[in-house]
Amino acid sequence: MSTSLRDVRDQRGEVVAVAQLGGGMVEVSARLPHLAGVAKPGQFAQLRCGGSTTPLLRRPFSVAWTEDDVASFVLAPVGVGTRRLAALRPGEPLDALGPLGQGFTVSGATRALCVSGGLGCAPFPLLIRALRRAGTQTVTVVSGAASAARLYPAARFARGDPGVHVEQVTEDGSRGRRGLVTDAVPAHLDGASTAVYACGPTPMMVALARILQGSPAPPIAQVSLEAPMGCGYGTCLGCALPVRGADGQAWTLCCREGPVMDVETVDWDELMTLPPAHVA
Amino acid sequence: MPELQVDLGRGLRLSNPVGLASGTAGFGFELADLVDLDRIGALYTKGTTRMPRAGNPPPRVAETAGGMLNSIGLQNPGVEHVATVYAPLFSQWRCAVIVNVAGATVDEYVQCVRILDGADGIAGYELNISCPNIAHGLDLGRDPGEAARLTAAVRAVTERCIVVKLSPNVSDIGAVAAAVESAGADAISAVNTFVGLKMHRQARRPVLAGSGTGGLSGPAIKPLAVAAVAAVRAAVRIPVIGVGGIIDTGDAVDFIIAGADAVQIGTATFPDPSTAVRIVDGLTEHLAMVGISHLSELRWHPQEPTIGLFAAAGVAPPP
Repeated sequence: MSTSLRDVRDQRGEVVAVAQLGGGMVEVSARLPHLAGVAKPGQFAQLRCGGSTTPLLRRPFSVAWTEDDVASFVLAPVGVGTRRLAALRPGEPLDALGPLGQGFTVSGATRALCVSGGLGCAPFPLLIRALRRAGTQTVTVVSGAASAARLYPAARFARGDPGVHVEQVTEDGSRGRRGLVTDAVPAHLDGASTAVYACGPTPMMVALARILQGSPAPPIAQVSLEAPMGCGYGTCLGCALPVRGADGQAWTLCCREGPVMDVETVDWDELMTLPPAHVA
Repeated sequence: MPELQVDLGRGLRLSNPVGLASGTAGFGFELADLVDLDRIGALYTKGTTRMPRAGNPPPRVAETAGGMLNSIGLQNPGVEHVATVYAPLFSQWRCAVIVNVAGATVDEYVQCVRILDGADGIAGYELNISCPNIAHGLDLGRDPGEAARLTAAVRAVTERCIVVKLSPNVSDIGAVAAAVESAGADAISAVNTFVGLKMHRQARRPVLAGSGTGGLSGPAIKPLAVAAVAAVRAAVRIPVIGVGGIIDTGDAVDFIIAGADAVQIGTATFPDPSTAVRIVDGLTEHLAMVGISHLSELRWHPQEPTIGLFAAAGVAPPP
């Protein structure tokens, strides 16, 4: 009838660090013991500045990292909600409702490829740590952005783990390979031994889905999607995404059945016809 | 101890006046882990239709200043599923579960209520004659005669409590309220969302899919909704359930002063699932603070002469 939300708590945490990552990206860390303790890679939390009702709705963010009782989120100030969150200072309160949604499937595949586009970097640090703990020998991240300034710092994917390799791609060639992040993907695919995870803009994920269609099937091929959300926990029915249902196209909820979904579940053709995302 | 019980008619007594509004609480299961459904008075379900509905294409929601627009399109599993699978589970909660029913024709409403009437666990019905997001959804709610015809047809097939949820997108909401009261409605909820349109500046088109219009909810509509409740209160004698933009106890009190007997919490539950339970506690505290025993004593009676604050406090005004 609905996914259990028994692990979900609304917790008020205290911001302990705000790191400016360049290109407008910010990593906000807050003391949120419950979330930090139970969040799985790919799950998200609905955030707002502590007690604030302006803007009215919370904003969804992947849990990027957890360390002891602290959880971190990567965001960019693009709208009214993200501007206020990005302006938080240590000591200020942050409300987090979570963990929400379905996370990535972490298995002991020999290798993993993480395809990150722009702010799509957010779920990868936590995923990479979980993969390595589960026995994945090498994790390769292909990280793309419009320009060098907008790249998530390579060291933040690995966080000191020598088994993580980061290959950078920029559209303007200002760092690493010049082109689209998906250009770098085929060289890393080797069929059954490499699990593939992706998060980024819709056109990037559509391109990746097409690449995967023409390649030997990876053991896992998952994407983390987004949609405008009202509640984040499956009640408002606002965050519909097109999927391939048993009898053709159907809608599913990004917040409850996602944000992580298997690549073959998503109706990519329909997704590409949807109007562009609106940033408020 | 102040008295929070509310009688909606036909034997439907709510333990307290605070309910979760239709469309913001699913069928209960969706948020039962986040909201203590034993502590609220009523849960008004997602709009239920004769046949299952997949809902509208996305984008379905868009935030606006102090509110949000939605165009969900009445996504629901259909009345047979609600009657046979969901309803038997409603009694696990202490709150009354009132099933919101929607349709495009009078016959669809009647069929839905007939099917639901065979199921236990349902405390009453809320007739959604005002959904702005389906074709014809507004027609039955705009015309007092049509609204009365619908209410009478449903009245003829059920003994359960009938709440009629009115649209604010009408020229005279009091006339619609009076019409459904005479046709046998037990209570009225006011109001549903206001039709709104938000533009995507870069794409030069509406943000929401389809026609682009959606229903506006949230604090932005509260003064409009309070005015609608006052107009309905002036037109009918049956209980009125106020809904529209309530986010705290003070908002709920405003609706009660304006003439509401009960309230519904809607959009505020999305960012803060604990809102409704907090308002239940807040109303008890409010009654104790102002020293009255029942919410109805808060009501404004426009026909009575205004008593100045000094006179009310029994003191002489300053010279």
